[in-house]
Amino acid sequence: MKKQETIVKTNKMEIKVHSLGRVEGDLDVKVAIEDGVVVDAWTEATMFRGFEMILKGKDPQAGLIVTPRICGICGGSHLTKAVYALDTAWGTEVPPNATLIRNIAQAAETIQSIPRWFYALFAIGLTHRNYASSKLYDEVVRRWAPFEGEHYEIGVVVSAKPVEIYAIFGGQWPHSSFMVPGGVVSAPTLSDITRSISILEYYRETWLEKILLGCSVERWLENKTWADVLAWLDEKPEHRDSDLGLFIRYSMEIGLDKYGAGPGRYLAAGNFFNPQQYRYPTIEGRNAALIARSGIFDGEKFHDFDQARIREDHTYSFYRGSGSYHPFEGVTDPLDPVEGQKEGKYTFAKAPRYDIPGIGETPLEVGPLARQVIAGRPGAQEWQDYDPLFLNIIKEIGPSAMVRVLARLHEAAKYYLRMKEWLKQIDLNEKFYIKPKELPEGRGFGATEAARGALADWIQIKDGKIENYQVVTPTAWNIGPRDRHGQRGPIETAMIGVPIKNPEDPVELAHIAQSYDSCLVCTVHAYDAKSRKELAKYEVIKMC
Amino acid sequence: MVNLLWMHGGACNGNTQSFLNAEEPTVIDLVTDFGINILYHHSLSMEFGEQVRRLYEQILNDEIPLDILVVEGTIIQGPNGTGRYDMLMDRPKKDWIWDFAHKAQYVVAIGDCACWGGIPATKPNPSESIGLQYMKEERGGFLGTQFRSKAGLPVINIPGCPAHPDWVTQILVAIATGRLEDVVLDDLQRPQTFFKTFTQTGCTRVQYFEWKEPVEEFGQGTRKGCLFYEQGCRGPMTHSPCNRILWNRQSSKTRAGMPCIGCTEPQFPFFDLAPGTVFKTQKILGSIPKEVPQGSDPLSYSVNAALARAVAPKWAKEDMFVP
Repeated sequence: MKKQETIVKTNKMEIKVHSLGRVEGDLDVKVAIEDGVVVDAWTEATMFRGFEMILKGKDPQAGLIVTPRICGICGGSHLTKAVYALDTAWGTEVPPNATLIRNIAQAAETIQSIPRWFYALFAIGLTHRNYASSKLYDEVVRRWAPFEGEHYEIGVVVSAKPVEIYAIFGGQWPHSSFMVPGGVVSAPTLSDITRSISILEYYRETWLEKILLGCSVERWLENKTWADVLAWLDEKPEHRDSDLGLFIRYSMEIGLDKYGAGPGRYLAAGNFFNPQQYRYPTIEGRNAALIARSGIFDGEKFHDFDQARIREDHTYSFYRGSGSYHPFEGVTDPLDPVEGQKEGKYTFAKAPRYDIPGIGETPLEVGPLARQVIAGRPGAQEWQDYDPLFLNIIKEIGPSAMVRVLARLHEAAKYYLRMKEWLKQIDLNEKFYIKPKELPEGRGFGATEAARGALADWIQIKDGKIENYQVVTPTAWNIGPRDRHGQRGPIETAMIGVPIKNPEDPVELAHIAQSYDSCLVCTVHAYDAKSRKELAKYEVIKMC
Repeated sequence: MVNLLWMHGGACNGNTQSFLNAEEPTVIDLVTDFGINILYHHSLSMEFGEQVRRLYEQILNDEIPLDILVVEGTIIQGPNGTGRYDMLMDRPKKDWIWDFAHKAQYVVAIGDCACWGGIPATKPNPSESIGLQYMKEERGGFLGTQFRSKAGLPVINIPGCPAHPDWVTQILVAIATGRLEDVVLDDLQRPQTFFKTFTQTGCTRVQYFEWKEPVEEFGQGTRKGCLFYEQGCRGPMTHSPCNRILWNRQSSKTRAGMPCIGCTEPQFPFFDLAPGTVFKTQKILGSIPKEVPQGSDPLSYSVNAALARAVAPKWAKEDMFVP
């Protein structure tokens, strides 16, 4: 019998992937696929609200009310960096109690975000039919299916608990403006403290240890290397069968550890302050006072974080011109997308870049993985976090969608412990606020880490009002577009090389977008860019 | 079984996040116990691309009945009325929302943005944002004064920045269980069951208010004084149940020591955040509050205040909530 001729197929297609979920910009992703693998990508933020323009000419404290409303998911983080921007501009003194409460509130928002994001936004995608042949699939569906999943319900419900602590100190979550220059408005009583401790313990017992880790927080945090994590998995059935254990085993089975690496270069703006070290907030004194450190990892070396090296490039963004400015000089002058597209622009997100000494303007990934890589930098002060686990993991197995998710889950354990400690340190009989002098002129910089990454404000005050206000969000860092040097943004980079099993249902792209949680609150939606009706078919070129 | 579609316009997701904090009932209970079928919600649904587009088309073709349309976020009309500052599937989102609003039995606006335009509509309103049936306190909005949903009601406004989860879930349950006739709307189309009382109702500082004892400065928490006199608290003038139905089951802004910023009222943010208006009481003649509780006027208010201060008991100057 004559052997069939070999047919060489080249499968080429371009699809536009539409994501409905987002926070400060709806997101579409356009990808080019060849032979079932993504070869290029463009991220398009499709919404513009103009918060920076609203703030011009307003009361210097307007940022405390306006910027939390940029994002209801990380509104508390917006408040945190907005207040530190004013603290530095007005030269306030912040009593240690206020720093402790600001730290607690910021951590509460983050430990709320971890289960809410994991169950409601990320893990439901793992129940996709694509993975039905995995031997762990039935268990994954049993636990993580939306609404019906056993742990879905526990995870979503427990996520409301940490922000009860936020409400005890801040009145409500989301959207309080209780942090003010010079401290906080609240002054807790004994019952506020004991109640907070008890809520924290409920979170640990109900979910963190019982469901997520399958062991004590302390046992999990003993893991310092990837080898330790693998040994931990095998140590006990409780570890293997925990949600974390199941996530790692399932990820390795379905290949989440094989794609979505991203740029491999990271930035953390740092988070939480030592109350004594940051009594008098200044831009220059910030790095040394941080507990979760700031820094840049360029793939080989660490560098100190310096806000002066940040630029926002808008060559490909729907804003007039093609500048690349430091945020103190930043401008926000929007274009009609139809007009912008004529100049090759494709998104409302600007492209933040960091000028790394010796390397130049570089796109950097921000978020929990970035934070945990920076935590591995040697040379921490005794009040600072040193944690080598994720630097080791990216060296051993490389970054991936799986590793990014793992870094996020890891932080639940760390922040729980920190919060407990800070609650202990509050001195009920000391000050929570020191009234500052409201200076009519000044410049301030404030930054923190939202659950999903570095977040910072730059404020200029002139004649007692806001002259210029610029906000650089984690979403912009991660989903920002190409820059004037033609470098892709981090998620654009992370999309490349992703295998797409079914282009009509590219769940893999959803996993990438969601692993960054760049305010892309949910699933990814694919449709053909041209007909808008049906997905593009393979263009099959047969060659004999 | 009632079908619900959740749309977000110029939103921060804060109302969704608030909604996820709901406890009685939880969001999951709404689905599993109250028969609310969430056709699509951007943060909660599994459905994907073409499935969502098909669902949208089925609603617009009357193949799937739409009982409740929930809108979170402003309607973005910029630039120049085109809506291209907020696109969904290559179509201005405002056009999708217009179409769904005209298919739905009930339209529920959740949060300030959807009700009145909120923060994005603050001057100079760069996105040309507008509320569903109001622009700030002016009636009309995106859908127009005459708009009525299929069931004959105007947009049900559940304001707040964000709206409290209980205000949202309880109205949804009222609709799902056929009790909407018990919901009486006020002149701003807000359910009176929540918005007849003032933020001050239930505030732990109300005794300090009675005796005109001010909070001297921030950082006193609940311990002492009323935030109305110096810190610009709008609690006596704002309609909300914030101190009656507590936030996150624990507290409220004023209980924690933060002045109410009036976020359930259409004028929020007040004074367009002009210099000197944030966290500061606006006064006449240096001492009389410019705005006083509803039904009073600055003059009679200040006469009453002077008397109250003069006869205040000694404890009115002390910490009530001791550490």
